[in-house]
Amino acid sequence: MRGRGLRAPPPISLMTRGSLFLRKIIWALITIFVVITFNFFLFRVLPGDPAKAGVKDPRLSPQAVAALQQRFGLDKPVLFNTQGGNLFDSQYFRYLGALAQGDLGTSYAYKSRPVTSMLGRALVNTLWLVLPAQILAIVLGVLLGLVAAWRRGTKLDVSALIFALFTWALPTFFLGILLLFVGSRYLGLPTGGRITIGADYASFWATAGDVLRHLLLPTLTFALVLLGEYMLIMRSSVVEVFSEDYILTAKAKGLTTFQIIRRHAFRNAMLPIVTLIALNLGFTVSGAIQVETVFSWPGLGKLTVDAVAQRDYPLLQGAFLMLAVSVVVANLVAELVYLRLDPRVTEV
Amino acid sequence: MRGWARFRRSKMGMIGAVMLLVAVVVAVFAPWLAPYDPYAPSSPTIEDIYAPPSGEHLLGTDDGGEDVLSGLIYGSRVSLIVGFSAATISLLIGGLIGLVAGFRGGRVGNLLMRITDFFLVIPDIALQIVIVAIVGQSLRNIILVIGVLGWTPTARLVRAQTLTVRERKFVLRARAVGGSDRYILRRHVLPQVLPLMLANTVLEISLAILAESTLAFIGLGDPTLISWGQMLNFAFTRGAVSAGAWWALIPPGLGIVWVVLGTTLLGNALEELLNPRLGRHFLEKEPPTQATPGTAPEQPELLLSIKDLKVTFEVGAAPVVAVDGVSLDVCRGEAMGLVGESGCGKTTTMLAALRLLPPGGAIAGGNIWFEGRDLAALRPNELRPMRWRQFSMVFQGAMNALNPVKTVGWQIAEAIRQHEPTVTADEAAARAGHLLETVGIGGDRAGDYPHEFSGGMRQRAMIALALACGPGLVVADEPTTALDVMIQAQIMDLLAALRAELGMSLVLITHDLGVVAESCDRAAVMYGGVVVEQGTIAEVFRDPQHPYTRLLLAAFPDIDQPDRPLASIPGTPPRLDEIPPGCRFAPRCPHAFERCHTERPPAYPLGPRREAACFLVERTWQGVTDG
Repeated sequence: MRGRGLRAPPPISLMTRGSLFLRKIIWALITIFVVITFNFFLFRVLPGDPAKAGVKDPRLSPQAVAALQQRFGLDKPVLFNTQGGNLFDSQYFRYLGALAQGDLGTSYAYKSRPVTSMLGRALVNTLWLVLPAQILAIVLGVLLGLVAAWRRGTKLDVSALIFALFTWALPTFFLGILLLFVGSRYLGLPTGGRITIGADYASFWATAGDVLRHLLLPTLTFALVLLGEYMLIMRSSVVEVFSEDYILTAKAKGLTTFQIIRRHAFRNAMLPIVTLIALNLGFTVSGAIQVETVFSWPGLGKLTVDAVAQRDYPLLQGAFLMLAVSVVVANLVAELVYLRLDPRVTEV
Repeated sequence: MRGWARFRRSKMGMIGAVMLLVAVVVAVFAPWLAPYDPYAPSSPTIEDIYAPPSGEHLLGTDDGGEDVLSGLIYGSRVSLIVGFSAATISLLIGGLIGLVAGFRGGRVGNLLMRITDFFLVIPDIALQIVIVAIVGQSLRNIILVIGVLGWTPTARLVRAQTLTVRERKFVLRARAVGGSDRYILRRHVLPQVLPLMLANTVLEISLAILAESTLAFIGLGDPTLISWGQMLNFAFTRGAVSAGAWWALIPPGLGIVWVVLGTTLLGNALEELLNPRLGRHFLEKEPPTQATPGTAPEQPELLLSIKDLKVTFEVGAAPVVAVDGVSLDVCRGEAMGLVGESGCGKTTTMLAALRLLPPGGAIAGGNIWFEGRDLAALRPNELRPMRWRQFSMVFQGAMNALNPVKTVGWQIAEAIRQHEPTVTADEAAARAGHLLETVGIGGDRAGDYPHEFSGGMRQRAMIALALACGPGLVVADEPTTALDVMIQAQIMDLLAALRAELGMSLVLITHDLGVVAESCDRAAVMYGGVVVEQGTIAEVFRDPQHPYTRLLLAAFPDIDQPDRPLASIPGTPPRLDEIPPGCRFAPRCPHAFERCHTERPPAYPLGPRREAACFLVERTWQGVTDG
């Protein structure tokens, strides 16, 4: 008894839990592979074949077209090369091979710039925007939802509910425009971008301050949009947990409300939130696209919209892949966190 | 039509429906409502661009010199058309896939769900952007893309619902008599799934409208049509912010908010209608109790003395009286059985006595004397140090009474440390292990989670928990229900042994008369929220005075007379909101006479701590008082 104590490790043997972790990771890898393949065919199957569109410029001579087609590998068969030679000398396997080396082709619009490096820089910028906003929204949403549930039916609860409904109905880009309108006209905040153009700051801190000023409104927009939903889910999750029998047991044991929440309710109530964060990552992408468009923030979302505007298909294809893979990876992380939180899960 | 009546009471749902209706009317009558035709060719002058609101243009003009109000009115058409058509497409595709996956199950169902899961992780918006950019930005394409890509949530929902319906009795029965799959789907499954599908579709409409406006805002709307997203795109990209032209930005944005809010409110109300959530919980602020002023009873042997306890519940508008004037005494070291059919107020009485009533319940009068203090009059923070240390409870259905994400040993140790702060963590853990051993569970199982215990083990763990702080009184609510006979006997023996060893008092709530006869000193019989008879086991079982007690005993098998036919009591206990005016048992009583239906019989004392509430014993009682 003593040796094992009460802080014994989760009772499900490490083997089963471990293989569950492994299965989740394998499933995520399979999903990523399917995304990659899906991405390849998406850009070739749909009418208007973008891969060819790039070489369809009527000003090009037939020789030039042929040369371009050869350069992009468009003269090869799509899936398998059955015309003799190497079976895998096809567009699909060339795409996979290039991808394995981190090569996503070169942008049409930004002449000859490699897509991979453009995406890498944009991803970093997006994370600077998304992570603080998510953290802010989760912390505030969880706290407000908890209080609203605890004081169910009071004025505070009702106002929280109305607030959440409004932020839910508010399109992200519209909220961004409203904040931009007020912030730029009345509060002297920048109208967009990552840094003031032409400014030359003496120190790192001055530069950082300028970037933070640019980040303020987009982060706020994003956080507000996410906040309402987190709050609603936390509220209903907490109400549900608070009506569980073991909460009555905890109360009968003579615990204070604060102790009951901290020791018995919080972790159980957080489980749906973790699921929601995972499910909401698609929503995060949508939010990033809208916020970055409104505030000209040079992240993945803005890059995607710019690629659409310029019909820059290699860039669009790369951006789509990046977005989809980020969501799959983030989803995996959320599922692993869920596994850590709930000892009961033994089946996927 | 009951659904409609309930819907009308939902304030939010009605507001949502009206908002949506207004939007639909505006969209249909746009040509008559709009002051200008935004589709007519125009040649604006420089003064027409971003003109502020005026009598001529109530909401000013936009970047092209067009009337914003007219654009706002016409823009509703695109939003609603996209919303309704895309949601219908999602409903059809998602509904079909969900139904098949849920109903067929097996390999087909698994494959369909794998595909659904795959599309669920692909960010919708990115896919929408890519596809619309490639296939072209016409209204038809936008509807198709949003509709087709919106099927995943519907499919998941419908599958889950179908899975539960599939296992219901009527479906299994239809299958057993040889109904074809198509027949069962159409006649039995679909009617059960459809309402939820429709409520979900209303929510899908709001998502589709948001998706359409987002696409239009980033420049992927149908360029030939006026939509709110498009208006915002034009105004935003063409200098409305720097021009300060708020009138070109706010109206189309509020248009989107209006329809999305309307559909969301409506959809939520419909879902709530189908899946009502109680939404009440155990940590709500307790209503003030109304203890009757009084003084503690003098007898030192009394541990718990409930006097004239009255408990009400909020059900709808008027409170319902669930316990009406119950008086019970429990002496030190005594075991009392509280018996009666389900719904007679046994559990409510004891929960109220320990101040653990569920939300909506309140003590409306009486006293609960415990060690000289009235529990009914104590404030929550005065009560807290007494809990578990002086009285604890074994809750009914220990399945859920233990926290699933904490180990059993931790939950026992927690109670110990809460009330004995000087005990170290290790000592508390050791005591928890010892307690588990006392109830026949190896101490090494203390690190297990509740789900790793069997039902009987959980029940015993709950008893170990109740004993953790050595309380003077344990209330055990149906501790052996749903357990097999062997375990039942073990648990009852265990309780008796522990009681003898620790000298604690026990209140046993059960409908099993055999258990009471074996393990209790006294018995109290409850019916319809009142105690109809109480006395020692010998008195109540050998010489029952109340007709209800007699019938209860007759309904119970007797080992001495195995051939005696078992009686049953026709009828059911009264509903709490339809309590009869006289004796509560009169409608079912074979001996009831006129007075029983009009006058409520008092509890006639028939001896020391012996009473019965029936007019039939009035004469015996007079004999007792005369003699």
